[in-house]
Amino acid sequence: MRTRLFLSAVTVSGVTLAACGGDDGETVTIYSGRTENLIQPILDDFSDETGIDVEVRYGGSADLALLIEEEAAAGDAKADVFLSQSPGSIELLDQNGRLGELPASTLDLVPDNLRDTDGRWIGFSGRQRVLVYNQDLVDPAELPTSVFELTEPRWQGRIGLAPGNGSFQDFVTAMRATEGDDAVAEWLSGLNDNGAESYPNNNAIVAAVGRGEVDAGLVNHYYNFRFLAEDGSHPGRNHLFDTDDPGAVLIITGAGVVEGTDKPDEAAQLIEFLLGSSGQQYFAEETFEYPLANGEQPAGDVPVVEFGEIGAIDYDQLGGGLEGTRTLITDAGFEG
Amino acid sequence: MRRPGAPYRRTVLTRSSAASSSADRRHFDTVVRVTALVVGLTFTVPGWLVLWRALRSDRAIADLWSELVPPFWRTVQLATMVSVSAAVIGTGLAWLLVRTDLPGRRLWRLLLVLPLGLPSFVGAAAFIAGNAPGGVIYEVLDLIGVTPPRRLRGLGVSWIVLTAFTYPYVLLPVSARLLALRPSLDESARLLGRGPVATFVEVTLPQLRAAIIGGSLLVYLYCVSEFGAVQLLGYDTLTRVVFSTRQFDRATSFGAAAVLLVLAIGVVSLERWQRGDAAVDTRSARSTVPPTRLGWGAIPATLACVAVAVVGLVTPVSSLATWAQRGIADGRVDLGDLVEPAWNTAFVAALTAVAAVAVVVPVGIATTRLRSRIGDVAAGSVVVGFALPGLVIALALAIVTLNTPFLNPLYQSTALLVFAYVVHFGSQALASVEQSLRAVPERLRESSRLLDDRPVRRIVHVDLPLMRPGLLAGAGLVLLATVKELPATLLLAPTGFGTLATEVWSSYEDGFYAEAGAAALALIVVSGVLTWLLVLRRSALVADRPAG
Repeated sequence: MRTRLFLSAVTVSGVTLAACGGDDGETVTIYSGRTENLIQPILDDFSDETGIDVEVRYGGSADLALLIEEEAAAGDAKADVFLSQSPGSIELLDQNGRLGELPASTLDLVPDNLRDTDGRWIGFSGRQRVLVYNQDLVDPAELPTSVFELTEPRWQGRIGLAPGNGSFQDFVTAMRATEGDDAVAEWLSGLNDNGAESYPNNNAIVAAVGRGEVDAGLVNHYYNFRFLAEDGSHPGRNHLFDTDDPGAVLIITGAGVVEGTDKPDEAAQLIEFLLGSSGQQYFAEETFEYPLANGEQPAGDVPVVEFGEIGAIDYDQLGGGLEGTRTLITDAGFEG
Repeated sequence: MRRPGAPYRRTVLTRSSAASSSADRRHFDTVVRVTALVVGLTFTVPGWLVLWRALRSDRAIADLWSELVPPFWRTVQLATMVSVSAAVIGTGLAWLLVRTDLPGRRLWRLLLVLPLGLPSFVGAAAFIAGNAPGGVIYEVLDLIGVTPPRRLRGLGVSWIVLTAFTYPYVLLPVSARLLALRPSLDESARLLGRGPVATFVEVTLPQLRAAIIGGSLLVYLYCVSEFGAVQLLGYDTLTRVVFSTRQFDRATSFGAAAVLLVLAIGVVSLERWQRGDAAVDTRSARSTVPPTRLGWGAIPATLACVAVAVVGLVTPVSSLATWAQRGIADGRVDLGDLVEPAWNTAFVAALTAVAAVAVVVPVGIATTRLRSRIGDVAAGSVVVGFALPGLVIALALAIVTLNTPFLNPLYQSTALLVFAYVVHFGSQALASVEQSLRAVPERLRESSRLLDDRPVRRIVHVDLPLMRPGLLAGAGLVLLATVKELPATLLLAPTGFGTLATEVWSSYEDGFYAEAGAAALALIVVSGVLTWLLVLRRSALVADRPAG
């Protein structure tokens, strides 16, 4: 029995290896930090249209970036394309020299501020930072126009945030770029003094707001749409800060081609497909996100906003990048 | 081969057969020692990598340590509290399920193991979802006139939730031990007028000590490496440091993991020392004692089982069912999509359970029979693998296979995935395997040695049947740990290989609650079916005594 099971394990791994080893250029391997529900349908469309097969490994963006880093450091990159939920994780790979240059024709699909400054990764959809609030507990008239108002006494003990989460940290990093480290540090300690509650991620905050555990929380806009789609009685609603407020920053998802891939053309073709009309409409209509390609519009429910000085943040120019952001967050007393 | 009724009496041996038999035995012992050493060394691979990476840190150790001290103590506090409560609940339930005439005990034996099959992140999420109008916690508190708390967060709630998800780590090995325990001492105590409770405390408990401590150790290590649930419950432990620094300050991340490792080595050494050689009574193996009659006591006993099941199973399952039902009602959820992940889950979990038990048996023989120092070190190495978060083990094994030419083909193969599971969960089989080895009476082994000088044949025909309950309990624990494993599965499984746990995670992560709920319920069903088919049905835990 034992021998047979062992043999079958070997057979299975052998089969898998054979499947991966087919080097005919017809399969692109994607490491996707974006989950299956939010991307597989459009990847299937890509395969149908181009005849190029895709193999996808799903996982957290940070963990997959670490895996790509280790593969690349060992000179054995398995992934051709990395899709990241947050700019932070893909920028990390860029800084370590693990991403290849994207063709100019691909980069030109989006405005300058929605891609990496040295042209190695590109945004393909966007989520806006919003305040999600429980409509039974918050009077719409008292909703703030700026994220800075959340340190005022009237929000004492009512706010949830996710200090350890990628998109919160990306948002704080963006805020540092526009407001300066001192203002951000002061705001973060003000929030902590005001009794803000920590949650692991956006999802947990929207759930907590729905239960009335906190009155409101800082999240990406997308999650509340999902909660309403799951349960029409969910009392959470999104509130937008003023468009010029740092609290209204757009967090983009990023796509890049892994350095050293033997399928750079197919990889670039895939990224172009995500930025093409059908890809962008998929993100607008199916995942309630903001399309980023020039000329694409969000779906009906998603408010149209003007994106100002936002998009890909130049982490190099922010001393310490995300590491510095985490220090600011922990120094303010949060468990980042 | 054991002959029923054969006298356990030393016979006079001719010199030649004694010599060849003792040479055989020495040979066998050497093979066991070497195998145990190799197994032990293999289990330490992730640990060495963590230490090596941590030592490359350019941060001053004092500086790093000061950041780690507060979460370190919080981790110790939570882990200690949960292990104590899990020990009490697990032992109490084991006694009720094995030694009494509790109504419906066969069903309880299955139900009360199932909380172990739920991934803690979704278990905790589903648990706290019960604290909203319409949820189990909210409505029950409301019914008894208590205002439901606004937030279920912090140490107290983490303690309750983790206890409810981990007590089976004590329940399973203690049940196995109770089944293998000689009942005559109990009978004598009862004849001398001791009540069932006094008999249990004074006579039975000392013999369960090693099983209880071994199970509690697993609970302790589980809490040490836990991340998803405590995060959601707002309780900050060392794993948070491991995770939050993993991208931009990797040395600190590995440093925090190294602290987990050192903590685990300390606790494991303490357990080995505390347990000592605990010469357990091994003169008989099958319980024939009639079960304790609970009488009216069956009511509080049943209520206790219900209470545990409500916290660990009913509350999370009812939230999951609410989520799933919304999706099934409007056709968003296609249960057919779960068939392949369910099959994958069952396949790797069964493979891992068998592999883990097989791999730790030599280690168990080395520690229990040979009393070998090498065996103790190997056992320690096996156990420590449970204290590292799965993500750390996965990254370590990725680094090792990617950078070792002859291991490279294993990277992201099923074989490496199962290996990672075995390293992570082998400890769960070890405690039970050691217990089961102790359950084979020394004198029976001596006489069998006289009747058959082939060690392997003796093991198959004499030892294995007696070890069965313990081996199955160990396999069961590994199985339930593997079905819900997430981080190693995401990083090391062959690309495109999805399990129910990855389905749950991927749907939950982006708020597809209906799909997450359906996949989590499927996970509980698969856990239940596998536990039944592979563990309970094959052990006396369900077959039950004819007298019962």
